[in-house]
Amino acid sequence: MKKNIKLIMCLLVSVSLLLTGCGDSNEADTVRIGVLVSDTTSAEALAFRNYFTEYIQNQFNVEFIYSDELVDSAQEISAFETFITNNVKAVISFSSFDRSAQIELAEKQGIFYAVATGTLTDEEYDKFKNYEYYVGAIGPSLEREFETGYDMANHYLDQGKSNFAIFGGAIPYYTDMHIYRAAGMLYAMVKAGGEGANYKGQATVEGIVGQIYADGSIDTGAVGDVEILGYVGGYDMDDAWFAMCTQMAQLPGLEVLLAVGNGSDFFGAAVQGSNVKIASVDAFASAYGEAMENGVLDYLAGKFSASIGPIFIATLRAVQGNPVRTDNNEALALSQGYWIATSFEEFERLYALDSSVEAPAYSKEMLSLLLNASYDEFSDFVSQYSYDQIRNLTQ
Amino acid sequence: MKKINIKNRIMNFAPIFGLIALSMMFFVIGSLRNINVLFGLKAILNQSVVVAIVATGAIFIYSLGSFDISLGASVTVSALLGAITFNATNSILLMFLVCILVAVSIALFNSVLASIFNLPVFVTTIAMLSVLNAIVLLLISVNGTGSTVSISASSVQNLNTEWFKIATLMVFAGLCTFLFNFTRLGRMQKFIGGNPICARLTGISSKKISIISFALSGLGVGIGAFLLIVYAPTLTRNSASSVGMDVIIAIVFGGMPISGGARSKIYSAIVGSFSMTFLSQIMVMFNMNSGINQIVKAIIFILVVYLATSNQRRKILPR
Repeated sequence: MKKNIKLIMCLLVSVSLLLTGCGDSNEADTVRIGVLVSDTTSAEALAFRNYFTEYIQNQFNVEFIYSDELVDSAQEISAFETFITNNVKAVISFSSFDRSAQIELAEKQGIFYAVATGTLTDEEYDKFKNYEYYVGAIGPSLEREFETGYDMANHYLDQGKSNFAIFGGAIPYYTDMHIYRAAGMLYAMVKAGGEGANYKGQATVEGIVGQIYADGSIDTGAVGDVEILGYVGGYDMDDAWFAMCTQMAQLPGLEVLLAVGNGSDFFGAAVQGSNVKIASVDAFASAYGEAMENGVLDYLAGKFSASIGPIFIATLRAVQGNPVRTDNNEALALSQGYWIATSFEEFERLYALDSSVEAPAYSKEMLSLLLNASYDEFSDFVSQYSYDQIRNLTQ
Repeated sequence: MKKINIKNRIMNFAPIFGLIALSMMFFVIGSLRNINVLFGLKAILNQSVVVAIVATGAIFIYSLGSFDISLGASVTVSALLGAITFNATNSILLMFLVCILVAVSIALFNSVLASIFNLPVFVTTIAMLSVLNAIVLLLISVNGTGSTVSISASSVQNLNTEWFKIATLMVFAGLCTFLFNFTRLGRMQKFIGGNPICARLTGISSKKISIISFALSGLGVGIGAFLLIVYAPTLTRNSASSVGMDVIIAIVFGGMPISGGARSKIYSAIVGSFSMTFLSQIMVMFNMNSGINQIVKAIIFILVVYLATSNQRRKILPR
């Protein structure tokens, strides 16, 4: 048995050496970038990861090191420390349990830090904008999130629908983006609800947002002539939670289920065969195309996988000593929006532009234009995120 | 016979050999991959110490042949109440004491509940897990700002050092080692875990020992909760959510027999905790996807456990 132990230990070391020896000979010149993620399995998360690891990593001399799925700030710090151990030059974060701690740790360790698919709050930006190692953020602003929810609800209000249910996603966890999307939905209902319509006494954007923050949920009831028949929030994903989802999707009289995040995965089975429409905010991924084709998903406000290309370039430039800063030496703060599809045909048309890691919406050639762009030029590129605008960029 | 004894002794220390092997792999691969080894050791300490301390305290429960699934939730509740106390008093000492007091109280409640209703401890801890999770949500909704309860990082910055964590771990591990290996308490625990009927017939009060064991486990939870706050001052409903499972894995990985008894080892928790972290760090260096990482970890886990327990299986007396 002693020999077996020795043999196993030798094998472990040998395999380690062998695997290590298989590394790329240009590894010394490779820029290592850590990626913090709070989701590793959703279609959106996989689409983003594939773009980075299957396209960007093959086009630029970078290596992405991903965290495991993070669930709290302690794990964020642990993952960050692991990145530092692996001598990453920068971290791109999709996780926001403790954004401040991440930025402070990066600054202390001399590692560039960037926020993908999100933005800082105004207070956070004011605090960190001049940090040397804070690259910036590119993603939907909270105002854009509000508009997304507003447009979604308005799409159905214009059709004369008046009986809604809302899936609040991470509202119970006070996730800003979900709160603002929901607020947009409610504001659209207030506007459509007739004279005196309000949500719990609130009829302004600020009031509705504040009410959701105060409650951590959304109440059912009348908003003037519009009815909120049901609400489910959180991601408990236990039997009781799924039962509540099913029950909500099958409420008598329900016409539309508005989801601040993914809706078809949680409610699709329950609405099958009914006339209830599901509207989601998620990503342009093949799974949601299938959901639209099958009639499970009726409206998709989605991010495209290559939308994270510009933040990668900004991060790479920072590492290379050519950061994208304003004239006042402030970090990036750019907003992106969503692609909207209201039919399978429209989904197919949009998805064709970003359906393959071989030919993403933002190619190497397009991104390379940003390597020496000024802040204004960079901003102009990022602002052209609509399907038509990107098509024009590719031609 | 002498040869067999030597083999048995070697096999008993298989988890330690595993830890040595993993650390060697870390240094070898790390050197070749040009990692920051010194910072890596700091990271490994940070990522292991909470689990190591909680698991060390939990050994006193597991050696009885009992099982506590609510440890992670207990860490969360203790940490939340500690942070709330700090925000109210600005006192780190009070924060520490509250963490300890809450954790020990929860542990004792578990033990007493099992005694009163004459239920297996496992059952009461399952119920306690649900209760504690509900308390977590309540504490955050009542006391948090949004979905978090946090204290300022600068308040605990002076304690967030390697030396403080090493010292804390050494003191607690030393205390537990003394109690477990050099006092009647440890011997009685092993006796109860090995053969509860015989232990009862010899006059050992399993209820009394159980209460003491849970109190020590609670002490570990409280210290772990305090260190969690020091490390990550922003707490959420998911804080320490993985600690419960990590403790179980660490203990088993460290060579602790699940059935408890005479072959229980107090060092299993520390060996297992650090082994797990070394393994995780090694997997990151290979930069494989999460799925493959989990599979490889599982295989290595099974291998180590097999080696650690293969000798024991032939030696366990029928009950």
